[in-house]
Amino acid sequence: MMCAKFFKKLVVAVMLLTPPCAAFAAHGASPLKVVEEIRVDAPIEKVWAVVDDFAHPVSTYSVERIETSGNNVPDQAERRLFLKDGVTITEVLTKRDGERFMIGVHRKTDNIQLLPAVNYTSLITLRPVDQGHSVIEWKARFYRGYPNNNPPPELNDDVAVAAVKKLIIGELAALKNYIEKLAGR
Amino acid sequence: MRKQTLSGVIFLGSLFFSNALLADEAFITAQNGQSLDIIDLSSMKKRLSVPIEGKPAGVAVSKNGRRAFVTSPEGRFITVVDTKTGYIEQRIPVKGGPLGVVVSNTGRRLYVTDFYDDMLVEIDLKTHKERRLAIGPKPAGLALTPDGKMLLVAARDDNQIVFVDAHRFRQVDRLQVGRHPYGVTIDDDGRRAYVANVESDTVSVIDLVSRKARATLHVESHPYGVALASERIFVSNQHSESLSVFNAKDLTPVATVKVGDYPEGICASLDGATVYVANWFSNELWAIDALSLKVRAKTATSDGPRAFGLFVGPAL
Repeated sequence: MMCAKFFKKLVVAVMLLTPPCAAFAAHGASPLKVVEEIRVDAPIEKVWAVVDDFAHPVSTYSVERIETSGNNVPDQAERRLFLKDGVTITEVLTKRDGERFMIGVHRKTDNIQLLPAVNYTSLITLRPVDQGHSVIEWKARFYRGYPNNNPPPELNDDVAVAAVKKLIIGELAALKNYIEKLAGR
Repeated sequence: MRKQTLSGVIFLGSLFFSNALLADEAFITAQNGQSLDIIDLSSMKKRLSVPIEGKPAGVAVSKNGRRAFVTSPEGRFITVVDTKTGYIEQRIPVKGGPLGVVVSNTGRRLYVTDFYDDMLVEIDLKTHKERRLAIGPKPAGLALTPDGKMLLVAARDDNQIVFVDAHRFRQVDRLQVGRHPYGVTIDDDGRRAYVANVESDTVSVIDLVSRKARATLHVESHPYGVALASERIFVSNQHSESLSVFNAKDLTPVATVKVGDYPEGICASLDGATVYVANWFSNELWAIDALSLKVRAKTATSDGPRAFGLFVGPAL
């Protein structure tokens, strides 16, 4: 029992020390889901113009600078967000559908200190309410930060869901704020 | 001899009866909603929703349709469900965490991948005796040949398919496939297997006699599972909201069909006329005509339908 606990602590320590790993790293058997939405006082075209601009994300992270490549083409376009303390987030555009007003973004850099979840992928879809209002729906798929069974309490499913939920609610509020200001409301 | 003929007639008769009057049922594991939805496929209506904890993922149905077997990788158990009533008959612990499951032809044995313990596990449902066989890191999907003699197991993080003699419960071969093999499907003749390689965007076509890869099919983004119906191959592509369809005879592409968000579990109807796909993100089961490729019907499921396995069985 002592041994198992020590081993788990060791695994977590190694995970925390290891640099963020490549795309689709080791993960468990049970994908998690968070779905949130927000109403924006702007027509869908205005909202889409912002959401579709993959190279210029509205972010709740304190981003110092952004590098982009791939010209907004799905599976090619990447953005690297440089945060304080040398932390970077690399995200790839996985989907871009102007007819459905939908983009998909996959985070390639798992970093459980920043977000206690791995293999984090978002699908962001817009739908019109009426001529002047829209809804942004943000769906995320991810796994808990600990890839094996019997996760430590700080890296279990509930912690991952709560963290992603908090992140998405923040991102949606930031988007709403930014778009409504642009629209002059 | 006479007895055999007679039972053959009765068997055929009952087959005809069940096909003529009753449709199939789908057994959909909802991993986030933590339930097993039992859906009548003639009406596409939910008949029952059985609460099952531990993030249920894998599913198999006995040949007679009486029992459904559900894996809960996080709960570390398998639930045996009486399909008629939804009554939970048994809960069988599995050490690490079960993911994929198939049931033997007689319904006596289960074969289960233990995803977290890197094992294939055989469980005798009467005696609860277990046999375990090391597979390699993260064993995922598996399939049993129609004669019940051979198991094919996806060793996901080894990028290999492991061939296992089901009776002796020994590994007989390993074959390198694409990156992260997941769903495994074997055809009705037991001649070919199809393996979805999630990270390569390919499907490996394996000849079961030579145990060699015969071809590689290029599909869309992140293939998850394969269904065979009306001499066609249907592949669910998680990231592309689509099914890639191929001709099973010459392996030429037929079409790409748009489905719901994040399609995962895919399974043919027992008559091969329809393909059903569970859409994990949009919480829907879609029915697609295997020939016209038109969407026949859609129905809502509980949250996060995974339906990993052969999830269609005969209605009772």
